[in-house]
Amino acid sequence: MNLRRFVDRSGKDQDLAEEIESHLAHASDANMARGLEPEESRRRANIRFGNARTTRERVWRYRSLPWIEDLWRDLRFARRALAKTPGFTVVAILLIAVAIGVNTAVFSVTDAVLLKPLTYPDPQALVELRNTSAQGSFPGANIPKFALWHAQTAIFQQVAAYDFGGAGMNITGGDHPQQVQGIHVSADYFAMFGAPVIAGRTFTSAEDSPHGGNVAVLSYGLWKNRYGANPHIVGSTIQLDGQPYLVVGVIGRGFVTDTPADLWVPYQFDLNSKDMAHFFTAAARLKPGVTVPQANSQLKLAADQFRRLYGADSLPPQGGFGVVSLQEASIGDMRTPLYVLLGAVGFVLLIACANVANLLLARAAARKREFATRAALGAGRGQIIRQLLIESLTLSLSGGLIGLVLGFAGVRLLLSINPGNIPRIGEDGAGVTLDPTILLFTLGISVLTGILFGLIPAISASRPNLAAALNENGSRSGMGIRSGKLRAVLVVGEMALTVVLVIGAGLLIRTFLNLQSVDPGFTMHNVLSMTMSVSGDRFQTTAPVADVIREGSDRLRAIPGVLDVAVSNCMPMGGGFGMGFDVVGRPKGNDPFTGGAGFYSTSWSYFSTLKIPLLNGRTFTKQDDAAAPGVVVINQAMARQYWPKGDPLKDKILIGPGVGPAFAEGPRQVIGIVGDTRDAGPNQPPFPMMFIPLAQMPDLETALNSRVAPLYWFIRSGPNPRTLVNPITNALRDASGGLPVAHIRTMEEIEARNIARQRFNMLLLTVFGSAGLLMAAIGIYGVMSYSVEQRTQELGVRMALGAQASNLRNMVIRQGMLLTLIGVAIGIGGAFWLTHFLASFLFGVKPLDLVAFIATPLLLSAIALISVWSPALRATRVDPMTALRIE
Amino acid sequence: MNKPPDAGEILQGTLDMLILRMLVLGPAHGHTIAEAIERTSENALEVEQGSLYPALHRLEDRGWVSSYWGVSENNRKAKYYELTKRGRKELAAAAGRWQRMTRAIGLILGESLSKQREGA
Repeated sequence: MNLRRFVDRSGKDQDLAEEIESHLAHASDANMARGLEPEESRRRANIRFGNARTTRERVWRYRSLPWIEDLWRDLRFARRALAKTPGFTVVAILLIAVAIGVNTAVFSVTDAVLLKPLTYPDPQALVELRNTSAQGSFPGANIPKFALWHAQTAIFQQVAAYDFGGAGMNITGGDHPQQVQGIHVSADYFAMFGAPVIAGRTFTSAEDSPHGGNVAVLSYGLWKNRYGANPHIVGSTIQLDGQPYLVVGVIGRGFVTDTPADLWVPYQFDLNSKDMAHFFTAAARLKPGVTVPQANSQLKLAADQFRRLYGADSLPPQGGFGVVSLQEASIGDMRTPLYVLLGAVGFVLLIACANVANLLLARAAARKREFATRAALGAGRGQIIRQLLIESLTLSLSGGLIGLVLGFAGVRLLLSINPGNIPRIGEDGAGVTLDPTILLFTLGISVLTGILFGLIPAISASRPNLAAALNENGSRSGMGIRSGKLRAVLVVGEMALTVVLVIGAGLLIRTFLNLQSVDPGFTMHNVLSMTMSVSGDRFQTTAPVADVIREGSDRLRAIPGVLDVAVSNCMPMGGGFGMGFDVVGRPKGNDPFTGGAGFYSTSWSYFSTLKIPLLNGRTFTKQDDAAAPGVVVINQAMARQYWPKGDPLKDKILIGPGVGPAFAEGPRQVIGIVGDTRDAGPNQPPFPMMFIPLAQMPDLETALNSRVAPLYWFIRSGPNPRTLVNPITNALRDASGGLPVAHIRTMEEIEARNIARQRFNMLLLTVFGSAGLLMAAIGIYGVMSYSVEQRTQELGVRMALGAQASNLRNMVIRQGMLLTLIGVAIGIGGAFWLTHFLASFLFGVKPLDLVAFIATPLLLSAIALISVWSPALRATRVDPMTALRIE
Repeated sequence: MNKPPDAGEILQGTLDMLILRMLVLGPAHGHTIAEAIERTSENALEVEQGSLYPALHRLEDRGWVSSYWGVSENNRKAKYYELTKRGRKELAAAAGRWQRMTRAIGLILGESLSKQREGA
């Protein structure tokens, strides 16, 4: 297209006016030359030329873009038309806005967690190293494995080790000691994850070797918050656990790792170590061109080599090594919940679409006469369709705009009720942003819905029977068969979708209630927990740790209000360590006489503090220390599983046989059996557990323990323990020689956090279900009131012919409820199939739960009944005379 | 009026070609162009003035003619149009199209006329 013609329209018009003037002058010159009078000459020239203004208008139009001007006119018209029916407009815009807002919010979170690749450069090449076995694969590494993996240079570009949980570290040497998340990493860690170094450097391989010196790399957050972004921090020394550490570098902001970290220190592995204890995670970056299957087959050979080096028993019989994509490993089981979430959102969107389409259909039907008039005045079918499309696009774009704002708010809301265990949303959800993709997605949805909503009524409105519409029927004729049926179908669909949503919500609500009522096996009331990091050199043997525990327990008990105090190396309901054991005297390697169990080290008062009932024998006393014979307490699940007939109290067990020097110790006497606790979470059955006194741990095990986990303190009090936080932390600091505590939470808070995901799911589906219910109610109300309005004449005639008000009311109710029941029936059918996808989220309730499947249809029918009630009443109030005269 | 009784309207689409043809003789302003077309066609064609100027502007936008303000033979201000290189090419193409078309139409009309004569 030639763009020149659209430029400088007024200037060119002025030019043309002068040109025409010049033409007329020449024409009248010519006439004068033929001998005419000047006035006559001019008059004839004018006549001959015709209307100069018409010419100018023709050129003007030629220089314009008619469709843009038509669009502008249609837009203004649409705004006027929508403003004339503010109720409709507001409801429609709100419906679209809510649907799109919800969609955007959930999509943003999903995008950050599920769709967006890891934030590291070239994330496809990152893999987690796994131990494979017949039962599946699990992460975890020891030094010999790491050394072997590190040597696989044919497949790996880098291999790095890092702490998974981390014991925490104490920054000391100031007025305020602070427990921070200090992560041990091997030297290649930063290069492998592509960490941006903003100051200094990362560890050299010399620094990551035994006796490499004390060096640390700081995170952006720690550098900023604790050191005020001091530009001279690199090269200075900080105190970690009482030891001076040289700061060699600072990592830039936005480096989000799956194990969040405030600072990093090198592992300094002795790669010749034969220590088989697993205490870290390893990941690798594949060499360019190497695939996961290739890496796996290479690692199969490596596993054979491992057995040759360290003996046939160094790996389980069918065990080996393998890799999985790090993305997959870190997202884990969030995939299904998010898909369920997306599905629910899709349902809400569909319901909203159906509803708005319904409203638009009703509106278009009511405006039949307007369209007929316009058609009679010469509007083409295309023009009417365009007009309606523009109206609905105006609606959907306004809705989309508001929806976007709601989406922003929704993301914040989702993050604020986020259970805290959604991976990779970054600090304060910084990883979740509304990015251009989502913007386009939202815009796409709003435009698509606009076209979809607009097209159906537009097409049906564009072929009115002109004469019929204009003459007798007017706007109050029965709704056209086509649009009437369509609207009924839409309402039925809405009902069906709502039933599915509400049944899903019902199942999740029941799950949540069930989870809340699960007895965890120990008391949470008025129990405070906190962590103390004992990672320094001071705590490499058992005795000083035991001293801190004894001293701390005594001081805490002296605080008025404190009833009991205990320490453990695991958090109940927080997961812990697992360990194999042999029952002394039984043949080895033969189930059920040998096996594995959760492995806790606790102080003597652990069971009394958490009120875990003693079922048989005795629990620990203060006297079960390093000097006393080795003892172990087991839980009921362990007794049942491994002593189905015999008496465990008569047996000794050997814990961690062959695991490595850290766990080398003699057999322990089973002294007691305690009640089960649900440590794997309220929705998991109790698993076998064994407890040993912290004071009886071998020194090397304590050293390992101090490196990988903090000590957990539990304080049960009479009054609300939150009121005792200050005396407790002071007492612990005094007792430990200045160690700070962190993560101060009550057990009830921890439990709430544990079922937070279920709460999150329940909340979301409840919101979706309620939104669906509300919209379905609006939908059926809209259809029925519209139908009553359309049939005013018919109802009037019926009344005039003697129909009772109750007959009319029941007729309307019957029709409304018929639609509802059809929808509900379809919905139940759909739910039968769809709730199976929820099975993995449910606890104590089956996917085909009778309560949900009976209560939901009843609830929905009740709401539908209320919704059709008022239109039905309106039907009885029709005044026959008015109705007949209305047109 | 000095309008001949058989003055014909210019066929749609041919006005552009006629204007371009007139400009081969040299730059001219609108009035001259209109007069020249009418005179050259021995007053068989009548240029509708309301179409002339839109056509001139269209041709200019397409780059087939260029314009400038000048002084006319009557010592009046007038806007002159001049054929461009591209205009010359377009004229050749349009003239070719027109000749093929008239020949084709002539063939058809000639045949049908002769048939009519046979039937009569």
